[in-house]
Amino acid sequence: MRALGELYFLLSLTGKEGVAYSPISNMRVRVLKPVDLPQGALEMLILKAVSLGPLHGYGILLRIQQISGERLEILQGSFYTAVYRLERNGWIEGEWGESENNRRAKFYRLTAPGKRQLKDETAKWSDMASVVASILRAKAEEP
Amino acid sequence: MSLFGLLRCWWRAIVSRSHIDHDVKEEFQFYIDSYAEDLIRQGMEPAEAQRQARITLGRAETQNEKYRNAIGLRAFDELDADIRYGLRSLFKNPGFASVAVLSLALGIGATTAMFSLIYAVLIHPFPYADSDRIMNPVLIDEQNPQQYRWFAMYKPQFELFSHARSIESLLGFRNVNMEITGNELPEDVAAIYLTENADTFFGVRALLGRGIQPSDAQSSGQPIVVLNYKFWQRHFNGDPAVIGRTLQLDHANYTIAGVMPRSFAFNDMMGIGDVYLPRSLLRDTVNPPIRWPYTPWIKLKPNFTRAQANADLLPLVKQFAKENPHPYPKQFHLQLQPIVGPFEENSGHTLFLLLAAVLLLLAIGCANCSILLLARGEARQHELAVRSAIGASRWRIIRQLLIESLVVSFSGAALGAVASYWLARLPLKLSPNSFPAESVIRINLPVLAFSVGLALCSGILFGLVPALMLSRPDLARTMQTGLRRISGSSKRRRWNLLIAGQIALTLLLLATAGSAIGGFLRLMKTPLGYDPNNVMQAGIMLHWNNPNDWERIKSREDRAAFIDQVRQKIAAVPGVTSVAVSTGSSIPPYSGFEQPVEISGKGNDEERKARVHVVSPEFFATLKIPLLRGRVWDQTENQRGDFIAIVNESFANHYWTQEDPIGKQLRIPSFKSGGPLEASSPQSDDRREVIGVIGNLRNDGLDRPVEPAIYLPYTSYMPPFAQFVIRTQSEPLAYLHAVREAVRSVAADQQISNGAYDLREAIESDAQWRRQQLFSVLFGVFSGLALLLALAGLFSVVSWSVAEKTSEFGVRIALGASRSHILWVALRVATRSVMVGIAAGLIFDLFIQKLLSQWMNNSDLGSNGLAVATLLLVICAIIACLLPARRATSIHPVEALRYE
Repeated sequence: MRALGELYFLLSLTGKEGVAYSPISNMRVRVLKPVDLPQGALEMLILKAVSLGPLHGYGILLRIQQISGERLEILQGSFYTAVYRLERNGWIEGEWGESENNRRAKFYRLTAPGKRQLKDETAKWSDMASVVASILRAKAEEP
Repeated sequence: MSLFGLLRCWWRAIVSRSHIDHDVKEEFQFYIDSYAEDLIRQGMEPAEAQRQARITLGRAETQNEKYRNAIGLRAFDELDADIRYGLRSLFKNPGFASVAVLSLALGIGATTAMFSLIYAVLIHPFPYADSDRIMNPVLIDEQNPQQYRWFAMYKPQFELFSHARSIESLLGFRNVNMEITGNELPEDVAAIYLTENADTFFGVRALLGRGIQPSDAQSSGQPIVVLNYKFWQRHFNGDPAVIGRTLQLDHANYTIAGVMPRSFAFNDMMGIGDVYLPRSLLRDTVNPPIRWPYTPWIKLKPNFTRAQANADLLPLVKQFAKENPHPYPKQFHLQLQPIVGPFEENSGHTLFLLLAAVLLLLAIGCANCSILLLARGEARQHELAVRSAIGASRWRIIRQLLIESLVVSFSGAALGAVASYWLARLPLKLSPNSFPAESVIRINLPVLAFSVGLALCSGILFGLVPALMLSRPDLARTMQTGLRRISGSSKRRRWNLLIAGQIALTLLLLATAGSAIGGFLRLMKTPLGYDPNNVMQAGIMLHWNNPNDWERIKSREDRAAFIDQVRQKIAAVPGVTSVAVSTGSSIPPYSGFEQPVEISGKGNDEERKARVHVVSPEFFATLKIPLLRGRVWDQTENQRGDFIAIVNESFANHYWTQEDPIGKQLRIPSFKSGGPLEASSPQSDDRREVIGVIGNLRNDGLDRPVEPAIYLPYTSYMPPFAQFVIRTQSEPLAYLHAVREAVRSVAADQQISNGAYDLREAIESDAQWRRQQLFSVLFGVFSGLALLLALAGLFSVVSWSVAEKTSEFGVRIALGASRSHILWVALRVATRSVMVGIAAGLIFDLFIQKLLSQWMNNSDLGSNGLAVATLLLVICAIIACLLPARRATSIHPVEALRYE
């Protein structure tokens, strides 16, 4: 698990809080439990990350973690699979370029259909979130 | 997501696979390296950082699989791998591969051949446009509904008919015999006059030049003629420069305007024309007074059903009948028949019978493949267990096994499709009269699609059961290599079923072949009642359309003298043993004009019919027909023609059983001349006395009973043609040229009609003969192949079980079993299934016997065929089982026990 740019090992996790330990900095910190990512959300996040500017794969990962405040647990296996799928669908476009340290890297940017998809998905998420929230807020009706 | 983008992505991944692989790997490597750098920045050791990165993120080398999964090519990759594996295993096991692929090639090839034959004959036999809407109108006599009659219409009736509501276009045609003049020897041609809409009606493009067109209706300049393909090949040797040349027919010149393609052979019903002429050339004549009627072919409008059209046209036809009652039956109704009708009746059953036989062959081939797969599956248990242990689901293993069987079946289908091209022509060659002349065998799209479908079905059929059985490997037992299995597994039951099924089907085919061959042999040995060897039949058409010639032979005496003169000239040809006039014989074994007959003293309540021939007195001697009673007429009586008759034995037995037929009287009331072209004796329909009885000669087909027949002197009735039977010393057709010369010496351009034939050959090309021959040959071939396949199946099963049970045999021999006991144990596996198979086959055969005899027109199927077939099968099966079983007896016990 990474938090704030360092590698931590999860020692215990109860409820929403836990303790993590980093062997490098020899620090123990309190961490909030990472939230499990629902299906389909990862792709949306990748699109969002890329919409802010072209990035290579690792950069996308960093940016997502940055935006979410390190609170999202991303299964390593599924990350690049999602990237491949997005590229296949034509929502992001890959281009070979040079990275910061002059190495060859593939940079992804959002395409026009991708922009549309992101807008649609965002709208759907907000709708769903507000509907679910209002259901949960509802109290038992007085007979 | 667009379909185009997706396809493009797939295309790149498949076609430039190595390039994409390299890119994916490089990208992921960068990913790992970036993470490792971050770790290094945090203070980890480089080596440790790399290791951690790889642990967390994964390896670059395996990323490819993930990439291809993600873009959706997983199924494709698996399919690809399975197909390659299937092909590789075929090459590695040539024995298995050759037997399996050959079995299927035989089955699929034969089935495809039959299907392409059915397609060419029944589904698409004619090259005409919209041939399913082309109808041939016939009259059904209410009193005799089995028989139908064609009818023809005169020009004004024709015009009226063509305006009917249900008719889109109307073709009229007339068959006429003409001769090619201007050559050394006159040659007879069959000409067909066609209405000028022929080109648009048929919709067939001419091979060279053009067809008959509406512009030909105005005959200006030299009249045109269009040639039939076969005639063009025969007469002009296929010369492509024939357009524009002149052809002389009946002393008139015609310009050749076109040649029709090979598939155009109009028409089978009334005779295939050698040349086609526009109708406008056919003029009604005064002397002799002829008005030309036309036979109609109707193309219906698309939205009319046949019943509607029948109702629409019936009033018109009834009106024609009122105007001209002679050719129409008293009470009739109209029926439109599709032009494919006659062939559907005759050969429909034949073809479907052959298709059924061929499907049985395919089933046997599939069973063989199933057996082979099961046998091979035993060997693959270990491999499949490993696959299952690694994590392949059952469905995945089944899919792989199915794809392997599909590889086998498609290979077999490819081979079979190529072979079917030749196989399909075999029935056409053996029995050409059963099929329309225009049907052309072609490998076309429907046939190929059928073949592919068949490959798919048979692959799944024979592959499914082994796949289901083998996909559940018993992991515990199989993985323990140390376990020695003494006795084989319990897969025996499936083999038994397959073997029994194969044997039953083979018996069915063998029995059918036996009865077909038996029927054919019986047909060959049927006594004909006469000696057809070295006899030929030739006819002459008298020239009624040439006024000069016609004057000379118009009267009865002149005509009789003319015919006799021709006969004598032919008799004078060296090599000719005897000649006789025999008008009324059609192609043997059918003959005679069927006419109602009245018998004195027997009353007229029932309608009696007999076959009538008009012959010269030498007829009986020429054909070597025995004279049983009485005498033949002499020359004076021959000239007179009236008052005498000879009957055949069938007639005598039928009407005068126990009485002496000599001296009895009969009458043929309809036997006087009906038209201006016929000449008859003054009292030809008067009483006649029977003066002799001759032996029966086959006149209603080879196996139907002989119809009663009457023989009269030819001078009592002479149509405008005459037929002669000519017996020669050797091969009769070799004398044809000399006979032509002899005929020409009587009248300068009297030709012999083209249909001169050798009697022996004519009998052998009788449709029924040919059909029996077809059945015998084809069923014989199919059942032989089926037997081979079934025996191959038996052989492999027994040899496999012997190999499997080697340790068991070793133990038995070590314990003291005798050789015969070992043999019995080895054979046991197959014996029961063979017995069951034979029993099932016999029962099935008894069920189908009746249906088969009806369809093959083979009355009284002998049960000898069945017995012979069963015996043959049993003997072959025993041999096929004994050969591998003998190996079991020569097993050395010590080696066997060490065998793993």
